[in-house]
Amino acid sequence: MNALRCFALAAAVVVSCVVGCEKSDSTTPSAEPASTAGEKATSGGEKESFTIGMSQCNLGEPWRVQMNADIKKAASSHPGLAVIYQDAQNDTLRQRSHIEEFVSSGVDLIIVSPKEAAPLTPPIAKAVKAGIPVIVLDRRVLGDEYTCFIGADNKAIGQAAGEWLVTQLGGKGRVVELKGLMTSTPGQDRHSGFRKGIEDSEIEVVFEADMKWLQPDARKEMESALARFDDIDAVYAHNDPGAYGGWLAAQAAGREKDILFIGIDALPQEGVQYVKQGILNATFEYPTGGATAIETALQILHKQDVPKEITLGSRLFTKENVEAGGDPIAAPASVATE
Amino acid sequence: MSPASTRVPTETPSLASRGLAILSQPWVTAILALALVIALGLVFHGNGAFYKWGTHRDALRLISVYAILACGMTVVILAAGIDLSVGSVLGLIAVAFSILVVRWEWSAWAAIPACLLLGACCGAASGSLIAWFRIQPFIVTLAMMVFARGLAKKISNGEKIWSAQTPEIFTRIDSRLLGENISVVTLVFLACLVICWIGLTRLRWGRYVYAIGGNEEAARLSGVPVTAMKIGVYALAGLFSAVAGICHAAQEYQGDPEAGATYELTAIAIVVIGGTSLMGGRGGVGLTLLGTLIIGYVDKILSINAVPEANRLMLTGAIIVVAVLVQRRKS
Repeated sequence: MNALRCFALAAAVVVSCVVGCEKSDSTTPSAEPASTAGEKATSGGEKESFTIGMSQCNLGEPWRVQMNADIKKAASSHPGLAVIYQDAQNDTLRQRSHIEEFVSSGVDLIIVSPKEAAPLTPPIAKAVKAGIPVIVLDRRVLGDEYTCFIGADNKAIGQAAGEWLVTQLGGKGRVVELKGLMTSTPGQDRHSGFRKGIEDSEIEVVFEADMKWLQPDARKEMESALARFDDIDAVYAHNDPGAYGGWLAAQAAGREKDILFIGIDALPQEGVQYVKQGILNATFEYPTGGATAIETALQILHKQDVPKEITLGSRLFTKENVEAGGDPIAAPASVATE
Repeated sequence: MSPASTRVPTETPSLASRGLAILSQPWVTAILALALVIALGLVFHGNGAFYKWGTHRDALRLISVYAILACGMTVVILAAGIDLSVGSVLGLIAVAFSILVVRWEWSAWAAIPACLLLGACCGAASGSLIAWFRIQPFIVTLAMMVFARGLAKKISNGEKIWSAQTPEIFTRIDSRLLGENISVVTLVFLACLVICWIGLTRLRWGRYVYAIGGNEEAARLSGVPVTAMKIGVYALAGLFSAVAGICHAAQEYQGDPEAGATYELTAIAIVVIGGTSLMGGRGGVGLTLLGTLIIGYVDKILSINAVPEANRLMLTGAIIVVAVLVQRRKS
């Protein structure tokens, strides 16, 4: 028994070492170019290579995984650019310390997609005071102590979805709204934008429920809606997995052909594929801004002027245009000039 | 408090004591709580949706995955343990199963046993640490919960595993039988329930589980193989998590590395609301069936009435408290 315990302990130690080593292996490719880039810069005089710190608030959401992938892709076409990625795992204080680490390690620029505004405003302001430009991506911080804000407008996207639905249904119909987490700003904006889009029509929202961005919850709520109403014309879900969950419920009831399904986000591996397969009738892109962030970062690093605020446009994907890459929806002028 | 238990003492003593004896049976009180919930549904029926069989079939489909987890959890809790890792193991298996059948195109006959084995191994790993090193089950399974979630994200690269060509096994599991009247996952749950029931009530293995839950030291001294039993119990919970993971992946048509987060809490709630004691040694899997129906119907009734999320959470909390009060044991 005792020998067995010793063996198990030894095995556990070996396993944890292996896992640990593997982990550090996988992080070195991003960390190593950073240090070499720094050395090159100091020895070369004129700065040709730059290090960017990227602080992501969490990688639990596929959309944020896509954002990092977009940044990685855009950065890979610039050989002098090294990006260090940090994932705060949805912990505000951890994200704060990541930003502070970037400042003390002396990166050339910080891209931050903050978890929340108030607690992250001071560390970002401190970075700017220390002379490091900061690009804020997707969610806002308070005040104006940052270099550039890049984000999309959920209200405008929700409104575009509402207006598209009005034309599709001829101004009249019964709609189910599967809402994202209603304590989150994207959920609130996608809701209020949509309502604004349909306000002048005879479209009626007969059933609305909070599916918390989750496909199984969306399916559950849609099953309830189908049990209550024999006549549903469309489902508007605040994200694509939600719309897919609604479709699964309708398919099980044999009613998916009578209903239009609309989602938001249009991730290449998710919503766009659903449209290609004919599951969703439409999805509206919520751009990650990853590529724009790298372009803007290069402009800042080369001492060019950039706007304080960049509002990203959206794209509409339907069965007709999905192969061609969707149709752009312009960012609303009122927001862009704000 | 139920009206029955306050009324009874005013009647004749013999009848009163008999009534109280029956009322203190956990299964009677659980049925009372369930009847209370169903009565709520009959009143708040959501435009008649509660009177349609489809609503009940969907409620049963939805709760089945949680209920499968609760079957394993019942056995663990009866043995005076707890398993917090079931939700994460569900997520791990959902991803692993999707990788096997979607990416590697394994046949279901190979993929399902492989996933069941992986789930059982996760459980056995927790069980071994608990039994050999005598670490608190809470801590060990908490560690497994974090580890399994990490592994799920690692093997999936943080992405959902799916493809446009839906594997046949997904559609098979997410279908209905008996004239479209009952979901396959519900039948899987009932099968798990029967297996647990036979194991706990008909086999010596079940008596050992109760013995360990009642008094571990006494069980050890009277010759119960406590170490092997404990490993077995957690392996069983892991196995059921794997079954739930396969069902979950099939119903979502994808392997989501985030699947099953907080499901362990629902599974524990189902077991406890059924009337199984968290202290171990008292309760049974039949009570878990009643707990499943209570939680499942509360959820469905709130959903068909489109109750806003904030009120839903408050009502769920209140209904759980009332359900537990109704079935409070006589001291």
